[in-house]
Amino acid sequence: MTAIGDPVARVGGEPRVTGEQLYVADIHLANELHVKLVTLPVAHARVRSIDKTEALAVPGVAAVFSAEDLPGHVPRFGPQFNDRPVIAVDEVKYHGDPVAAVVAESKDAAEEAAAKVQIDYEELPAVFTVEGALASDAPLVQDPSLRRNDPLGSTNVLREHVIGWGDLDAEIPNADLVVENTYRFPMVTHFAIEPHAFIAAPEDEGVAVWTSIQHPYWLQRVLARVLQLPLAKVRVHAPDPGGAFGGKQHAKYEPLLAFMALKVQRPVRLVLSLEETFQAVRRTETEITVRTGIDLDGTFVFQDIDANYLIGAYADIADRVVGKGSYIGNGPYNWPAARINARSILSHTVPSTAFRGFGNPQINWAVESNITEAAIKLGLDQVDIRLRNLARKGDKFIPFDTAADGDWAQTVQKAAEMIGWGRPKPEGRGRGIALGIKSGPTTGLSNSLVRLLADGSVVVYAGTQDIGQGARTIFAQICADQLGAPISDVSVVMGDTAIVPYDQQTSASRSTVLMGNAIQRACGSIKEKLRERLGADYRDDATPAQQVQAALGRLGGEIVGVGEAHKDADPDHPLGGSALFFEFNATAVELSVDEATGDITIHRHVAVSDVGRSINRLQVQMQDEGAAIMGLGHTLMERYIWDDNGRIRNLGAIDYRIPTSMDLPLEMLSDTVENEDGPGPYGAKGMSEGALLPVASAVAAAVRDATGVAIRDLPLSPEHVWQALQEYKQR
Amino acid sequence: MALLAEHGPDAKVLAGGTDLIIRLRDGTYTPKVVVDVKRVREFEPSIQQREGVLRISAGTTMTQIHDSDVINHWFPALADAARYVGSVQIRNRATLVGNQCNASPAADTAPPLLVYDARLVIAGPVGQRTVPLNDFFVRSGVTTLAAGELVTAIELLRPSGRFGSAFQRRTRRRGHDLASVTIAVVVDEDGRLRLSYGSLGPRPLVFEGEEDEIETWLSAAAPSPHSMRASPYYRLAMLRVLTGRALTSARGQLA
Amino acid sequence: MNQIELTLNGQARSASVDAYHTLLEVLRDDLGLTGTKECCLVGECGACTVRLNGEIVDSCLVLAVEADGGEVTTVEGLRDGPSLSPLQNAFLEKGAVQCGFCIPGQLMAADDLLRRVPHPSHEEVEEGLAGNLCRCGCYYQIMDAVESVAAGEVISSPQTPTAAPSALPQPPVDQ
Repeated sequence: MTAIGDPVARVGGEPRVTGEQLYVADIHLANELHVKLVTLPVAHARVRSIDKTEALAVPGVAAVFSAEDLPGHVPRFGPQFNDRPVIAVDEVKYHGDPVAAVVAESKDAAEEAAAKVQIDYEELPAVFTVEGALASDAPLVQDPSLRRNDPLGSTNVLREHVIGWGDLDAEIPNADLVVENTYRFPMVTHFAIEPHAFIAAPEDEGVAVWTSIQHPYWLQRVLARVLQLPLAKVRVHAPDPGGAFGGKQHAKYEPLLAFMALKVQRPVRLVLSLEETFQAVRRTETEITVRTGIDLDGTFVFQDIDANYLIGAYADIADRVVGKGSYIGNGPYNWPAARINARSILSHTVPSTAFRGFGNPQINWAVESNITEAAIKLGLDQVDIRLRNLARKGDKFIPFDTAADGDWAQTVQKAAEMIGWGRPKPEGRGRGIALGIKSGPTTGLSNSLVRLLADGSVVVYAGTQDIGQGARTIFAQICADQLGAPISDVSVVMGDTAIVPYDQQTSASRSTVLMGNAIQRACGSIKEKLRERLGADYRDDATPAQQVQAALGRLGGEIVGVGEAHKDADPDHPLGGSALFFEFNATAVELSVDEATGDITIHRHVAVSDVGRSINRLQVQMQDEGAAIMGLGHTLMERYIWDDNGRIRNLGAIDYRIPTSMDLPLEMLSDTVENEDGPGPYGAKGMSEGALLPVASAVAAAVRDATGVAIRDLPLSPEHVWQALQEYKQR
Repeated sequence: MALLAEHGPDAKVLAGGTDLIIRLRDGTYTPKVVVDVKRVREFEPSIQQREGVLRISAGTTMTQIHDSDVINHWFPALADAARYVGSVQIRNRATLVGNQCNASPAADTAPPLLVYDARLVIAGPVGQRTVPLNDFFVRSGVTTLAAGELVTAIELLRPSGRFGSAFQRRTRRRGHDLASVTIAVVVDEDGRLRLSYGSLGPRPLVFEGEEDEIETWLSAAAPSPHSMRASPYYRLAMLRVLTGRALTSARGQLA
Repeated sequence: MNQIELTLNGQARSASVDAYHTLLEVLRDDLGLTGTKECCLVGECGACTVRLNGEIVDSCLVLAVEADGGEVTTVEGLRDGPSLSPLQNAFLEKGAVQCGFCIPGQLMAADDLLRRVPHPSHEEVEEGLAGNLCRCGCYYQIMDAVESVAAGEVISSPQTPTAAPSALPQPPVDQ
């Protein structure tokens, strides 16, 4: 029998190594048609007319869709605002915004026809920088009629989020030192190895959709609303995505495909090219000014942050990213006074969406780097200054939110020890450390159904998506442990809204806690029923799996348990609810810089996370190391490159660089602190984003330590580091 | 040959496909006919020595180049460059000859071939000719190959005497990448050297002479200001850094 | 249309293909093998890696007609009959599989590496797998799996179900 924490091999792993695993693009329905999207080579344009004649003449073309083929008032959708039309109406608002879609018998025919759709358009001025979007004469990205009663409605600022506490004005003169700098975080994209894929088909007076989505139930609601169907007539099949990282959370082209499927009365499929995924999803770019007040002994006095987050042409979930990320932007410290002004700013660019870290990596880059700078100016040690101000367990480091839920100093000390902090450094090397924190989910509802079958095997229904984080395995482990079944006898069913009960979403590292608790309760319900049935025959020394045969006797059958976990919304809370838990990570790196070329060599990368309890040690390691490597991507090499007209120049894999097996730290060490102080099963907390948050800050701090140069924008590519070194030497 | 003659500009030659297939997909090329030369006997991979001349057939892949003992021994900078082209998967297909015919200024194997004074053997409608590689490149994507001609082999003269050579390149990450500067150098015992750089300007260039003449030659380098990979400023600085490192390495082999 | 014949995972297969279709497309769309994946389509990510005539290639850069008369192995051909290969077992055991999308390509590259270099250095493993991107960031675990196989470490097969059918109570005759 395996125990909680054991590095049990991945459930659902075998089909992934045999090639049998079916991702959406591997699924084919009989009689299916293929879709190709039509976009314009500009960032912003008014569409005057669409001539479909030539395209329709291509053999095999069934239809060419555009706004005119949709209900008169083109439906709009979006997780926060219903701002995104199912397909562009008279205006394209970013490079890649689809204006038509061809449906054809073959991929080739669809592609050929897509090139023949004639669009008469007028290019319009576009904004794609913070400065451009905020200029007084900037063209508005969003139709002002969508925000008539909003004082910001005639600007490109979608929302302003202001968080603060203490008396900033009173504290400012108290600081012995004030350090103020502006930090920039570029636009980067998720680059999951599986491009988004979608299939829609008419089914049973409604519609069925197959999609690589993280939130099947959320999508179900969107489709029901835009198609005006009952929820029960909208079925979302959600095969395990091939990587998601936040880029597959919300509806993208499913509504369009659903309309087309219902119109042509046949299944339609769309698989995006990698280039099209770069034009579909990205992380929010930021320009953040941090003014930190600090005493000579390193005690934090005040923090004043002004954060501009550049979101895309449609809000998607980006404003929530801004709100939630900026809210905890001050970090895991006690600040007597703090103020954060954060803005989500619309632009004629790819809609930004959730991306591992959810607004925190960007603000972490600014805040941790500024602390590093302050410590240097005061001649204080980087670890000491952080420990000095670190919130202790139970501290209300954000006055109106959940108190610090971990002994975070332990995590910091462990990371410091693992990097050898304080021990002599080899010649030419630098060390840096940074801390990361993120709020877990603020609301939630997860349901689970567990069936204990007559032979002691188990079926678990969980609406979580296994996006690579190993949710299936965690749930199987919990069931196996709770019911005393071997893990090989546990089957986990996910990914079908018609069969699996509701789970709110797969994000915010919530699943181990919320769905885990739901599953644990469902198992508890089964144990209850067994006790009831067996009465005196119930044996304390037998597992439920062993007892079920006694309970069901000759009738056979099964025992069904239902469990639920929820976190209620708090309408008075700025985020709609307080944090269920925090993800906390300390990352330290040791590196050297080839000053002649700007190349960084990371000799050792340490990541320690406070996880409460590892349900599966191996998966925790995989998540933390994977997150660290993803963080190294935006730290060292990733960014979109734009031309002067707001078009993306580096679409695709050749000129958008992500880390390969040859770009890794020479040594990566990850570890955990486990005090069983989380709200999940066995004291677990959620994890998987923490180790990404402080990577850039830790690396830049180490570069500063090695070379003396402070770099405040990313990525730290060789050229960028070299450039900064040249400028530094000239001073 | 006949197919190429018949279809003229509507035909494209396919060897490794690592450049051609990409352009077919993005619509840069829309040929009516693609001629696969891999199944032609004369193009089958081979590296043969005869009377001091090494002849590499047009079908020889980068993997075969960097695995070849004779190339590693006599033309190490070429073996090094071949080792950097893409990934294992790419190197198993990309041909040395194809790398030249594609004429990207960033072709990794061009600078080593230039310093080793390679020549191309070209078959055409009116017979065979040989041309020094330095006379083959015109600018990005353009060579002196005439209509209906095919490069059938690359020839290298085995060096006499001792020499040192080196290959250096600059990329945005350690993993495989298109280079923003490539350098190859070969130095002989008398201190005469040949130096070539690629990725700065429309074609790779080669210099022959003494070390003190290098800086003058390098100062004419004119990288494009429009490149996504690196700024001209960085490229010019790295040109000197890499040249210095390459020379040190090459000279070190002679010590 | 062109008729091509090839040996695919040890079996003789044929397909009717357009000259401009890639081997990747034909494997996935015409020959029913979806294990090989489509991602970048420019030979950068390695998700489409297959073995062609004894070497690994990016199948997105090979025209299907070029495989005529040739031998192709895909991830579906890696298993050892009913059992998984040592590499497949090692990938599962060492935590090398997260979302799994890059894994077919990684396995093909790893399989190729160990055939060429049975005892690779760590650097050789890095280089051998450098053509396969993993965005989940499983590189260390993937390399660990490869090195464990090279070192001859014996990996147990994934757990097989233990609930035997005979454990089921007999259903009642009439109900």
